[in-house]
Amino acid sequence: MSATEPRATTLDLVPDVAARVADAVKVYGVGATEVRALDHVTVDFPAARFTAVMGPSGSGKSTLMHCAAGLDTLSAGSAWIGGTELGTLNDRRLTLLRRERIGFVFQAFNLVPTLTVRENITLPLDLAGAAPDQAWLDSLIDVIGLGDRLHHRPGELSGGQQQRVAVARALAGRPQVVFADEPTGNLDSRTGGEVLGLLRRAVDEMGRCVVMVTHDPTAAGYADQALFLADGRLVDRMDAPTADRVLDRMKAFERRQS
Amino acid sequence: MSPAGTTLRISLRSLRAHRRRLAGTFLSILLGVSFLAGTMVLGDTLRANFDTLFADANAGTDAVVRSADVLDSPGTPGGVRAPVEAALAARLRTVPGVAAAEASVQGAGQLVGSDGKPVGGQGPPTLAGNWLADPELNPYRLAEGRAPAAPGEAVVNRGAARSGGLHLGDTTVLRTPDPLRITIVGIATFGDSADGMGPSTFTALTTEEAAARLTPKGAGQASAVQVRATPGTSQAELVRAITPYLPAGVQAVTGAAATAESTAQVSGRFLTMFTTLLLVFAGIALLVATFTIHNTFAIVVAQRTRENALLRALGAARGQVLGATLAEALAVGLLASLAGLLGGIGVATGLKALFAALGFSLPTGGTVISAAAVLLPLLVGTVVAAGSALLPAVRAGRTAPLAALRETAVDRAADGRAGRARAALGGLLLAAGVPLAVTGATGGPSVVLTTAGALAVLAGLVVLGPVAAALAVRTLGAPLTRLRGVPGTLARRNAARNPRRTAATATALMIGVAVVTLFTVFGASIRATLDRTVDDSFAGDLAVTAPSFGAGGSGLSPRLADALAGLPEVRQSVGLGRGVARVDGHGRTLDVTDPARLAGIVDLGRVEGSLGALGTDGLAVSRAEADRRGWRLGGSVTVGFTDGTSGPFTVRAVYDAAGLAGDYLVTREAWAPHRGQDSDTMVAVALRPGVPLAQGRAAVERAAAPFGNPQVQDRDQYAASAASGVDMMLSVVYALLALAVLIALLGIANTLTLAIHERTRELGLLRAVGQTRGQLRGMVRWESVLVAAFGTVGGLGLGAFLGWALVKASDAAGTGSFAIPPLQLAVVLVAGLLAGAVAGLRPAGRAARLDVLRAVASD
Repeated sequence: MSATEPRATTLDLVPDVAARVADAVKVYGVGATEVRALDHVTVDFPAARFTAVMGPSGSGKSTLMHCAAGLDTLSAGSAWIGGTELGTLNDRRLTLLRRERIGFVFQAFNLVPTLTVRENITLPLDLAGAAPDQAWLDSLIDVIGLGDRLHHRPGELSGGQQQRVAVARALAGRPQVVFADEPTGNLDSRTGGEVLGLLRRAVDEMGRCVVMVTHDPTAAGYADQALFLADGRLVDRMDAPTADRVLDRMKAFERRQS
Repeated sequence: MSPAGTTLRISLRSLRAHRRRLAGTFLSILLGVSFLAGTMVLGDTLRANFDTLFADANAGTDAVVRSADVLDSPGTPGGVRAPVEAALAARLRTVPGVAAAEASVQGAGQLVGSDGKPVGGQGPPTLAGNWLADPELNPYRLAEGRAPAAPGEAVVNRGAARSGGLHLGDTTVLRTPDPLRITIVGIATFGDSADGMGPSTFTALTTEEAAARLTPKGAGQASAVQVRATPGTSQAELVRAITPYLPAGVQAVTGAAATAESTAQVSGRFLTMFTTLLLVFAGIALLVATFTIHNTFAIVVAQRTRENALLRALGAARGQVLGATLAEALAVGLLASLAGLLGGIGVATGLKALFAALGFSLPTGGTVISAAAVLLPLLVGTVVAAGSALLPAVRAGRTAPLAALRETAVDRAADGRAGRARAALGGLLLAAGVPLAVTGATGGPSVVLTTAGALAVLAGLVVLGPVAAALAVRTLGAPLTRLRGVPGTLARRNAARNPRRTAATATALMIGVAVVTLFTVFGASIRATLDRTVDDSFAGDLAVTAPSFGAGGSGLSPRLADALAGLPEVRQSVGLGRGVARVDGHGRTLDVTDPARLAGIVDLGRVEGSLGALGTDGLAVSRAEADRRGWRLGGSVTVGFTDGTSGPFTVRAVYDAAGLAGDYLVTREAWAPHRGQDSDTMVAVALRPGVPLAQGRAAVERAAAPFGNPQVQDRDQYAASAASGVDMMLSVVYALLALAVLIALLGIANTLTLAIHERTRELGLLRAVGQTRGQLRGMVRWESVLVAAFGTVGGLGLGAFLGWALVKASDAAGTGSFAIPPLQLAVVLVAGLLAGAVAGLRPAGRAARLDVLRAVASD
């Protein structure tokens, strides 16, 4: 990764930025079927901040997350995790970066069904062959409150419990950024609240940067800032969002679009 | 559209949509059917080609006059007939309707090539005879040179000349078995164009010399008289015309009948054995295919549960869903069988060319494709496909409409009630099969009991497979976590997560490996038995051998043993010859030797009576044979010889160890009056004490050289050469089993591919959280290796057990050895694991290329 270090000087000017996309363009298809999922988007995701990315279906919010997290590549522009530009990495480097510096929480199918709860939590560490920090792990398990379920298989857990395990997995390797893609999409409001509370604690108590894609204003209410995407463009941002304010803002967009 | 039409349309649509999934099924059927069709076409073609060749070559012979008495014995195909009087030919020439009649002399003659080595003689017969002057009666035609006119002149067939490097004018040796120097004056074809009668060699001498060398009296005798009819006289009329002129015990048959007999000998002995062997292995390949196809359809049906449930919810009847699945299998089976049929015809043509290239000169002629060779493979391929898919299709039909709303069903084969029922049934089959096989092996021994037991054991293992799979894979994979970390753990758990699939996939390989192991154990046991026989009973230092006539050669000169006995280095030497006689009505092989001298070199065990006192009317019999026939020392048995005479013989000795000597021993003096060609198959030599082996060997080789340079072997070489046939048999069997194993591996690859399709999201998740492509590939490959290991280990165990049971069961005398060859079995194990890794390559590659986003994207 030494090759990317000289370029990191630009980011040194903005310290505490955990992840960043600059002038990001993502185009799917060609010609008549061309879809511009991201259209010159520039965003910083600061460390120790909880950012919610909002927008209607097809707004490009998931694409933004996938490109920022190194799951997908940009058509133009750049994406950074800390001082590393993702576009310069091959598949192997990108994979290693994901397991060492990024945590993921997906909407569904977050856990490997053949592994126990504990094995799922330490999966990225085990894949790297790294020894887990036992104290850290214990505190994480304590936080998600599933200490008695460590040897169960995911199939034996409820949906909310599975998502809590996913959050623990995402934090186990102390990553720079945690990306959460609709983490509460399949949960009822109470269990969803538990999961969001966990992500909040990851920011407040552990100093992680959390980026969450959601269309749920209540979920966005847990974030420090909310970004609004529409048609692949960043159209608005809101600091200290609340569910009501987010809902109003979104209604306003919908009125404007219709 | 009609309901049936809709069913068909759905199945054809899904066939097209899931082409890749059924590629494994298609290939399995194609390979199996190719094998089957290829065997049948090759058999038909060779049979037809031989028929044409013989009919063509013998077209000029309208009747054959020969001894009516035929003496059959194991190892002499077509039997042995007494000679007829040669003068009969001259008498028959005067019979009205006879255009020509010639005495034909036939015997064994081993031609020696320009390099001093025997030509052929490794199975196909090496023949010698007289050159028939009448070109119509002679099946051979001169291609070059002229007919033999003086003693020492000979015509050889073109195939023999070519492989022996012999040319017109060359001088060489013919062993009859006494060496005869011959000059090649002519080279002949069999019929108009063939290099020879199949792969056999033929050396033609003058009639006088042939009679001197090849008939018991040395003159005035012939093997048969060939007769040609005048134009307008049919073969049947000719036979009727000459029959009154024949002495008692001599018969005339039509040329067509004689040709049919010799054709049947080739077809019946060589071709039937050959095609039966191939068909057995085609059957094994198709059995293995059944498992892989069944598995494929079971998985496809499971993956299509939602789709089928939707159809059922929309009003499709059970029968329609079942029918759609079955029609899909039928269509794949039929298409693959058609392709396999074409492949089989190609295989047959290719194999024929291969045999020709390997030096088996087979008759030329077009490829013959009979209706049976087309219809049977088509039928078998289609039925195997549809039959294998039947149970999955029934399961598809039973899909509840509500399943559309549920997550995919969990594999319940290994636990709960179904698991207990399986364990009970499988355990029952094993509990019945193992004792049955063991009883058959040790009690009877009875091959039938053992085979029944073996089948029960196999069925038991197939039923138990899913119950055992999870445990077995977990046990076998235990070291993987330590060796390969998370990918290893995942490989192990993935292999165990669908026990039924893992078991079905592994069972296919298990059957293939079990058969390989069975033959390996069987071969090693035969070899051990041969080694032990030589070790235990051969007390000599050197053995001089030449293939006997039955095994393709002409044997050794009976004077060799005496010549060697006269060497200062040699303490004793004794010849062993083989003869065929009718003992109390049964055709038997006798060993002709000097029994008293034999006992000095070959250990006959405990001998009751006196070997030295056999005389010209005494027999020595092995204990086993005497017990079988209820003979006692001093008893009298009737021995009938090939010259038509018979007389009472007294059992003067009974010996315990048959071993190297056969079941019967007679003296040379008793045999001499009745023999055709006198020859030994082996001369055993014991050196004087203190003579170094190398020196003794050199002396024996020098002394044996004038007798046609026969092979001189020490004890180890002798034992090894006795077992060399076993190695050849094993390599043929391995080659034939390769296809079954290949199909089993296709099954592993196919199951993995289907599983990866199912696990798309899981694989994507693993990639997202940091599994590298290499780790993912390793995970899939190790899963493949684990399944292969399960199958291979199971097959090794099953094969070793069945091998033991069959070795014991087929060893009625209880004299055989049982051997497990650890090195070969280790090779099988390693090959099985490597093959598993290879089978996993493609699925692993596909899994690694998987698009991470497609797998994890939630909207």
